[in-house]
Amino acid sequence: MPKILTYIEAISEGLREEMRRDPSVFLLGEDIGAYGGAFKVTKGFIEEFGEKRVIDTVLAEAAIVGAAMGAAIVGMRPVAEMQFADFAANAFNQIVNNVAKFHYRTGVPVPMVLRLPSGGGVHGGPFHSVNPESWFLNVPGLKIVAPSTPADAKGLIKAAIRDPNPVLFLEHKYLYRHVKAEVPDADVIVPIGSADVKRPGTDITVLTYHTGVVWALEAAETLARERIDVEVIDLRSLAPLDTETILASVKKTGKVLILHEATLTGGIGGELAALVAEHAFEHLDAPVRRMASIDTPVPYAPPLEEFFLPNTEKVASALRSLAAY
Amino acid sequence: MANVDVVMPQLGESLTEGTIIKWHKKPGDKIRKDETLLEISTDKVDSEIPSPVSGVVTKLLFEEQKTVAVRTVIAVIDTDESAKVSAPAAAAATPSKAAPVAPAPAKQASAAPVPPAPTTAPASGRFYSPLVLNIAREEGIGMAELEQVPGTGEGGRVSKKDLISYVAARKQGGIHFGVPAAPPSPQAPRIESNLKHVDTGDLAKKYPAPQYDILQMSNVLIKMSEHMVKSVHTSPHVQAIHEVDMTRVDAARRKNAESFEKREGFKLTYTPFICDAVVKALKLFPLVNASVEGDKIIVKKFINLGIAVASENGLIVPVIKNAEEKNFIGLARAVNDLATRTRTKKLAIADIEGGTFTLTNYGVFGTMIGMPIINQPQVAILGTGAIEKRPVVINDAIAIRSIAYFTLSFDHRIVDGALGGSFLETIVKLLENFDDKQAI
Amino acid sequence: MATKPRLKQPGAPARPAPEALLKMYYFMVLNREFENTILRLYQQGKVVGGAYSGYGNEATAIGSAFALEPQDYLFPMHRDIGAHFVRGQSVRAMMMQHLGRAGNLTRGRDGTGHYADPNLRIYGNISHLGAMIPVACGAALAGTMRGENAVALTYIGDGGASIGEVHEGLMMASAMKLPLVLIIENNQFAYSTPLAKQTLVERLSDRAIGYGIPGITIDGTDVLEVHRVCRAACDRARSGSGPTIIESVTMRMSGHAAHDNAWYVPKALLDAGKKKDPIDRFERLLTGEGILTAAKKKAVLVEIETLLDTESAHALALPYPPGPEAAEGVYADA
Repeated sequence: MPKILTYIEAISEGLREEMRRDPSVFLLGEDIGAYGGAFKVTKGFIEEFGEKRVIDTVLAEAAIVGAAMGAAIVGMRPVAEMQFADFAANAFNQIVNNVAKFHYRTGVPVPMVLRLPSGGGVHGGPFHSVNPESWFLNVPGLKIVAPSTPADAKGLIKAAIRDPNPVLFLEHKYLYRHVKAEVPDADVIVPIGSADVKRPGTDITVLTYHTGVVWALEAAETLARERIDVEVIDLRSLAPLDTETILASVKKTGKVLILHEATLTGGIGGELAALVAEHAFEHLDAPVRRMASIDTPVPYAPPLEEFFLPNTEKVASALRSLAAY
Repeated sequence: MANVDVVMPQLGESLTEGTIIKWHKKPGDKIRKDETLLEISTDKVDSEIPSPVSGVVTKLLFEEQKTVAVRTVIAVIDTDESAKVSAPAAAAATPSKAAPVAPAPAKQASAAPVPPAPTTAPASGRFYSPLVLNIAREEGIGMAELEQVPGTGEGGRVSKKDLISYVAARKQGGIHFGVPAAPPSPQAPRIESNLKHVDTGDLAKKYPAPQYDILQMSNVLIKMSEHMVKSVHTSPHVQAIHEVDMTRVDAARRKNAESFEKREGFKLTYTPFICDAVVKALKLFPLVNASVEGDKIIVKKFINLGIAVASENGLIVPVIKNAEEKNFIGLARAVNDLATRTRTKKLAIADIEGGTFTLTNYGVFGTMIGMPIINQPQVAILGTGAIEKRPVVINDAIAIRSIAYFTLSFDHRIVDGALGGSFLETIVKLLENFDDKQAI
Repeated sequence: MATKPRLKQPGAPARPAPEALLKMYYFMVLNREFENTILRLYQQGKVVGGAYSGYGNEATAIGSAFALEPQDYLFPMHRDIGAHFVRGQSVRAMMMQHLGRAGNLTRGRDGTGHYADPNLRIYGNISHLGAMIPVACGAALAGTMRGENAVALTYIGDGGASIGEVHEGLMMASAMKLPLVLIIENNQFAYSTPLAKQTLVERLSDRAIGYGIPGITIDGTDVLEVHRVCRAACDRARSGSGPTIIESVTMRMSGHAAHDNAWYVPKALLDAGKKKDPIDRFERLLTGEGILTAAKKKAVLVEIETLLDTESAHALALPYPPGPEAAEGVYADA
């Protein structure tokens, strides 16, 4: 029977089900045991699975990621948590040089998941708000997923754990408790590499993920009243990209808004724009437009952060301008 | 003030018309002598046409994509640079008053007089998105007609929606424009062709996007297609393949590479070596340098050596005229000149006509052995494969040599195995025993 | 002040039997001659990348690897080629790997000892030294979780020991009492940087105090001492008492890599190192005890020379992998 869960509860449930299913799955990270994790994703886990499978580690991100890799290459399925995605920078060498290249070099799979609580909108300031996807998109060997709904969060954490490759699981902190929706109770996997049409439409395609999906869906409702029919594509998986779904939508509508919360320059938006230009040029009826956070560190004070981030109104206005083009 | 007429050039004796691909200037623009005025396309080659004089362009008499008979006046240049630009010339540019007209963009007044086809900038200056041009092409809507579709987009732009509503209305017979009949499709071939023209609209139903892409064959491609089919039907092709030891040639090339490039300004390649051998062999076997007319053999007393070049527009075979008069360096310069002009689209029609024998080098793609098709009305073609180091037995010892495979395709109507084989062997021997004392 | 943890070292009986000693000798010679062969091939232009040597480090590589059990995990460094052989890696596979040939351990994607062989539980280093130490922690952790009674043995140099990941790995291993043994191969130079510019500590093993684990400094040119101390550290790890740091003092007798003639190393150091050549030392000991005869020594040398000739010829005759294979294998198939 389906039930209503928050995004964070859905992640917890996915993790718990996978740990029950497969004894080689274990968790490691800072404060994830008795404390239940900085955001309580693993609350109650140590009681169910014991401290051998829910491991509180030293405060050392490179060691956490490296140890997860070490366990993975000898056959375990570790899920490591960075307390904030920002701290993945402390483990950069492990992620980009060791984890990402290992299978290519040696043929030995690295079935590990790195959970990265990402994103702003929670007044975390410059060091607790990053959307780190661009740090890793240019690193072959990593898979990167970024769910926007509880059902996708659960389905993707399961897929990530079962994938034989290292998967960066970008979970958005704003969505943790702001999004609540139906989650299938069954063992449903969301395949990595598949985008989802969150709202079908005929006039403009929005390519987005994470918080962008929330903004785009809200904006689409407003614009529907203005007789502008917006299609919202939730990428869900950033590496690999579901180019088929993306291009099919662009070819249908002829107009594209690319939307992400990560900062603009060097963001995945550029890659998506290039993809559209290369493969759907003759189907375009307007320039490809991008909307993203401005090119600054994430600021702390609420009006600053509000200025920094996209939101529903900004998205609606960009869509109106595209519609009028 | 002195008006100079610019005419559609006759770029080869067999040509009667050319298509204007793109104007590089619009009325009012200054132009220097030899600066590119326009690009034209003929059955054989695309070419940039330089201005005959310096002055001001006053009239462009045909829109882009129009096919015009040779020697027709297509533009007027006033050599007096202070000349006034005359009013637009082509009737097609003036929309019917009765027609619904898009909000006139400000740029219209100063724009070119001739409305070009959808693939280029329109006369109105109105922007058409790739999608709109695509729909127009599929619906057979020319630029003149497209220019009159009402646009509701930004700045009066015709949006996808606008064009789709227009097409729907037109199909119901609701729209009549006083414009000349537009060509059925802006990119449909305008050349005489035996290939059956098929309508994109029907095909698109049979081969729906995105599983299929439907591409229009270019003029060059259509010609190539017809030419190849004709050749296979005309000449009974026989192939002879010979191994060639290019070690001596390779050594000579390496030895002279630096001094040659310093002196000539371009790199020394294998091609002039092969041309040199082919020309010498053709002198020994004139029957290979021939063609067939009815029951007669026409033997040519000159050697026009065609060299197949893959250009961005397709396969082109520029010709070294009177190759029999050229020494090694002369051949090398001719090869380089043709290759450069092919790349920069500066070939004249004369450059690709009148070949008597053709050389094709598929070795550049790594191909070892090919089976080339004769370039009619010639009777033989030499294909050269990739040069690679191989172990070979010489005097019962294994040596590393630079080896290639050459294929001679010849027309068995007049060239038999003995003649073809001897001719090919002669080329091989000339290369294997390349005289490195000769001037390089 | 807490008491300093100490490594319990067994007494005399731990010394291996004569056959085992001869095996150690064989592997030390193989280690050196394999690297000499690679160096020669490098000088002939047949090695496309760099060529590294463990000249002077053979006793550390061989003695430590001999301390391992089959279930243990080996995370060797580039000066420890001999350890691969002790662990069971074939000369053929190593030769193909060093020469980048088709069908080798990494399909030509990486060179030298940069490979993994799960069957032998060997996980080679990457160029970012220290990066494999947290990974070794993970293997040690997995072994513990699965009740394998396995140790993870890994190495770092006097230079590499300055890298942050070494510290992070040791923090984790000590706090979790993971069965990890870290040998710091102090060969006096990190590329061209002498130890004095690397650290103020007198002995690199003193760092163990900071982790609350035993640290011991040994003569890394004495294969039996290396073996005895590693054995003790492995026993301690297996007993659940946690990691040990062993500083193995040696002299790097060649440059950082084949391109480096090490002009910056004072001759006196090399002369002293020469006198303590690990193979000469061990040979003298075995000869003195009558274990190694002149005939046996010759047999070992001939066997190794023949093996290396055969295997270098075999590898050289193989093609490089075809270019388009570069596009394969970024991801593991599900």
